[in-house]
Formats: sequence, structure tokens, C-alpha cells
Amino acid sequence: MDQFLLIALNGLTLAGVYFLVASGLTLIFGLMRVITMAHGTSYLLGGYLGYVIARETGNWFLGAIGGAILVGLLGLLIHQVLIRRFQDDDMRVALITLGVSLIGTDLMLAVFGGTATQVPVPGDVQVASVSIPFIGPYPLLRLLVLLIAVVVGVALTLFITRTRFGSVVRAGVDDSQMTAATGVNVRVVFAIIFVLGSALAGLAGVVGGTLFPLLPGQDGVYLLYSLVVVIVGGMGSITGAAIGAVLVGLVSQFSLVYAPTYSLVLTFALMVVVLAVRPQGIMGRAV
Amino acid sequence: MSELFAPKRTGVARWLPWALGGAVILVAVLFPFLVDRPRFWLPNIGVRTIWLGIIAMSLVFLNRYVGLLSLAQVTVAGVSAYGVGVMMVTFEQPFVLAALVGLVAGTLAGFLIALIAARTKAIYFLMITLAIGQVFYSWASQAIEVTNARRGLAPVLKPDFGFLNLNDITSFYYFVLVIGILCYVLCRYAASSTFGLTLQGVRDSPDRMRALGYNVNAYRIAATTFAAFIASVGGIVLVLDRAQVDPDVVSLGSTLDVLVVAVIGGVGSLGGVFAGALVLTLLSNFAQNLTDRYMTLTGLVFIIVLLFAPAGLAGIGKQVKGLIARRRTPRHDAPQQDPSADQSAEHAITEGKQQ
Repeated sequence: MDQFLLIALNGLTLAGVYFLVASGLTLIFGLMRVITMAHGTSYLLGGYLGYVIARETGNWFLGAIGGAILVGLLGLLIHQVLIRRFQDDDMRVALITLGVSLIGTDLMLAVFGGTATQVPVPGDVQVASVSIPFIGPYPLLRLLVLLIAVVVGVALTLFITRTRFGSVVRAGVDDSQMTAATGVNVRVVFAIIFVLGSALAGLAGVVGGTLFPLLPGQDGVYLLYSLVVVIVGGMGSITGAAIGAVLVGLVSQFSLVYAPTYSLVLTFALMVVVLAVRPQGIMGRAV
Repeated sequence: MSELFAPKRTGVARWLPWALGGAVILVAVLFPFLVDRPRFWLPNIGVRTIWLGIIAMSLVFLNRYVGLLSLAQVTVAGVSAYGVGVMMVTFEQPFVLAALVGLVAGTLAGFLIALIAARTKAIYFLMITLAIGQVFYSWASQAIEVTNARRGLAPVLKPDFGFLNLNDITSFYYFVLVIGILCYVLCRYAASSTFGLTLQGVRDSPDRMRALGYNVNAYRIAATTFAAFIASVGGIVLVLDRAQVDPDVVSLGSTLDVLVVAVIGGVGSLGGVFAGALVLTLLSNFAQNLTDRYMTLTGLVFIIVLLFAPAGLAGIGKQVKGLIARRRTPRHDAPQQDPSADQSAEHAITEGKQQ
């Protein structure tokens, strides 16, 4: 029972990281109907940038904010130069961003090398643990990651449902042409959302890079996981991304313990089951 | 957009494709005698170009005639290569039997992928096939008892049929060339058969085809399975060429390689893939002399092609013609001047997107 709860908690904290990555992807898709395949690249780049900043300044929060902002700015550049012209051509956007990820992987390997790094945190946080009933001592760091994910998730939901800009975004999701006709500059909204989505991936990279090693290949892994999360949860839904992330996190942790070789295969089986029952994902709207 | 409604080709347009095809085959046949170091050129450029082309051709077939862009074709080729590897290395069976098992395994894998993915469309299909490919990669690099994990299965020896010894590099090259041409002919035949025409109908208007009584999903699955067969053939050539099969064969990098080949060659052109494959193999062999960042260079070429020549090398002729036509004719009757020329290039990727 103890072990069961421990694995469940591990799954939830892992889900926190998955949610942070996938929320950016689902946000961008929800509004713009394009998929950015460079999302894993944004994750890894954010992690590396956060690592450099945190190492130089000794401040984890500066690293997290810096990683998010810098990756967001890069997202703005990519959106303006490569994506904006092909707004209505989702296939070409997917392919172009795949090309971006190809370049990103190579350049990051050149700059940051092939060895694993981890975003540094103050020593006492690194080793601190909290006592949780039925489980015993549990690393504080993992709980903090979960907390960050929950805070970001709640903030995003409030931002989308309670603010004026959020209502513009929702209107854009429903019908971007009608929204433009009412005088909203949809192009600016698109750009802001793309930057926000990229910045979320960058933040996720710093947070994930604190728990897990950053190394070449992780960009592909996190692209895959965020795709699976949004397919399972439903494209374009923040709540869906949260549900998807929790399911994927739990399945991958439990299978790691009970059937290690088939961890990814089982995660994938989850996706197949969801697709078979609900092709649009759990919270997705039928297309 | 489909050939059905294309206007009758006249003059240059009619014989040019044949002349071009003939010239390409002639160069390919004479290739071993044209190069200075056949021992380098034949395996590294010739054979690799052909199997990359075959796998990319299966992708292009699906995109052009079914409107599905699949990133799992490399995975299918990898399943087929692993089939050969397991039979020849683990069970020590002869090549012919192993090749049959590989073909069946790859085609079956394609069928299963189609069962899962055919329920989805366009961008979803792309994402799901990418996910399936990555899952297979992860499994292949871990399942030590089947795939020997990261070390892979080796050696896969080239067979000696007596009358044809594939260990001789020139014979091997011609053997592969014949396979490549057969695959191309098979794809062209499938595309122009009733089956292919039905597929284009399904692509252009699934609802009408359904109303006419066609089982749209079954056609999509059948086409994906056919493309998987072509990719499996490519996988068998691949495993013979590499003499081993390891997870790198199905990695994200290999998937992107094939995608790059298809896009550079032109995702609407079955023959163009070989031009794209040639560009990629030349880049990968010679760019290393210029720069360490070969992947970056490939990525840049890929993006530039997508930005400026979305129909790839195969579409460049049309694009140039469109440009010249626009220059020559006065503005007011420009719309009558073959507007499809640059438009079709612009929409090459989404041309077949399902409604």
C-alpha cells in the first residue's frame, strides 16, 4: 500500500512536468490550429538556459524566469519569420517546425555538449524531505514541482476564463474570423499566445531539468510525451492537458515499476484506448 | 488537381517526363562507370539513395493519393529490417525466407498502424504516426531478448544466389536499382488502377464516396497497407546495405531523414524522391568536409525548400514556368494564364488534405 501511494505520488509529480510542457502545446493548438513540433526543443533549450542562468547567478527563480522569457522571445521570432505566413496551412507549419527542431537539436548538442546536466537548486532544498502520512519522507523538490504545475494550471485557467484578454482568446478559438471582424487584432493575439506557449515550454524545461537530467534526445522525448498528453486529453483544452498529464504520468510510473521494458508501450496503449473510444481526446471537441 | 482532370499534355510537356525518366535511368545504369571511386560511390551514394527513395516514395504515395502524411514509414521499414535481422541472426535462416518474413512483418505493422491511425485525419495522423514511431524506437532499444537492444542484430550477410552474388558491390547496386524501379512502377500502376482512382476520390471528397457506397475507411487502411509494403521493401534493402539492424534505423533522426528526402524531392511526386534522396546522401557525405553541423545544414535546406519551393525539386520546373508566364503576360489577363502552375506548388503539401 505504501509503495502504491509512493508510485502514485511520483506519477503525479511527473505529471506536473508533463502538464507544464503540454499546456503550452495545447494552448497554441487551441487558438491557432497549428502544431509546433519544435516544442520539445523549446523544453530542452529552456532547461539549458535555466541551468546556465541559475549556475551563474546562484538563483533558481532567476533561471526559471530567464529560461521562460528567452524561449518565449525565440518563439516570437519563429512565429513571425516562419509560421505567420502559413497560418492556414497546418501541415506546412508542422513540417517547418520539425525542421526547426532538427536544427535546434544539432546546435544544442554543439553548444551544451552530450553530457547530462541538471539545473542547480540550493543544497538544503535539494535534500530536504517532508513527511507524508502512509508514505514517509518524500523529497520536497518533487512536491514543489507539483505545486508549480498546479499554480500555473490554475493561473492559466483563470487567465483564459476570467480576463478580458482570455475572453478574446476564447472567441478566437471559436471563430477567429468573426473575432477579427469585431475589431480584435487576431494576429497580435496569435503572436502573444505563441510566445506564451513557448515560454511555458521553456519554464517546463527549467522545472523538469531540476528533477531530471538534461541531455540530447530529451527534446524528442518531451515532444513525444506532450503529443501523447494532448492527444489523450483533447487538443486545445487546458483541463484536458491536466487530465492527460495525470493519466500519462501515472501509467508511466506504475508500468516502470511493474513492467519496466514496456513502460512506453503501455503509455502508448493508453493513447490507443482513448483514440478508440474518443478520437478527439477526453476533453476535446469533435472536429 | 488529380490527373483525371488534367488537360491533355501537348508538345514538350508530353515527352519531357519520358525523356527525363529515360535519362535518369540511363545515368543510374551507367553510374558505376561514371564515378571515379565505385567502392565509395556505389554503397554510400547509389544504394543509400535508392533505399531512402523507396521509403520516401511510400510516404509520398500516401500523401499524394490518400492525403495522409505518415511519419511511421521509417518504422515500418524498421520492422521489416528487424524481421530480416531476427530470422537471419537469431534463427540463422536463409535470406529469401528472412526477406519474406520481413515483408510480411512490415506490411502487417503498417496494417496495424492504419487500424489505429486511420480514424484520424491530417495533423492528428501526423502526430499519431510520429508517436507510434517513437514508441517502437523506445521498445527496440530496450527489448534485449528480441532486438538485442542498442547493440542491434548483426551480421546480416548479403546472400550469394549463385548466378548473382550480392557481395559484389556492382551486382548489389544493380540488384537494388532493379528493386527501386520495380517499386516505382508498382506505385505508378497502383495509382492509375481503379484502386488508385478510388483513393483519389476518397481523398478529395470522402463524404461523396461514402454516399456512393464506398467503404472510405477500408480504402484508407488498404492504401496505408500498400504503402507499408513498399516501405518494407525499402527496409530489406536497408538491412542488406547496413549489414545490421539497430535502433538507429527507427530513430527520430531517420524519420526526419526520410521526411527531408520526401520534401526536398517533392511530396507530390513519386519520382522526385530519388532526387531528394540524392541531395541528402550527397549532403551527408560531403557536408562533413565543410562543417561539423551537417544536421543544421540539412534542417536549413529543409526549411528553405518548405518556404520557397513547397512542391520540392519536382515542382521547380512548374514554378519557374509559372513565374515566366506571369512576367510575359500583361496583368489583365494574368488569371487566365494557367493559374494552377504556382498554385499547385503552393498547395503541394496540403493538396491532398482531407476535407
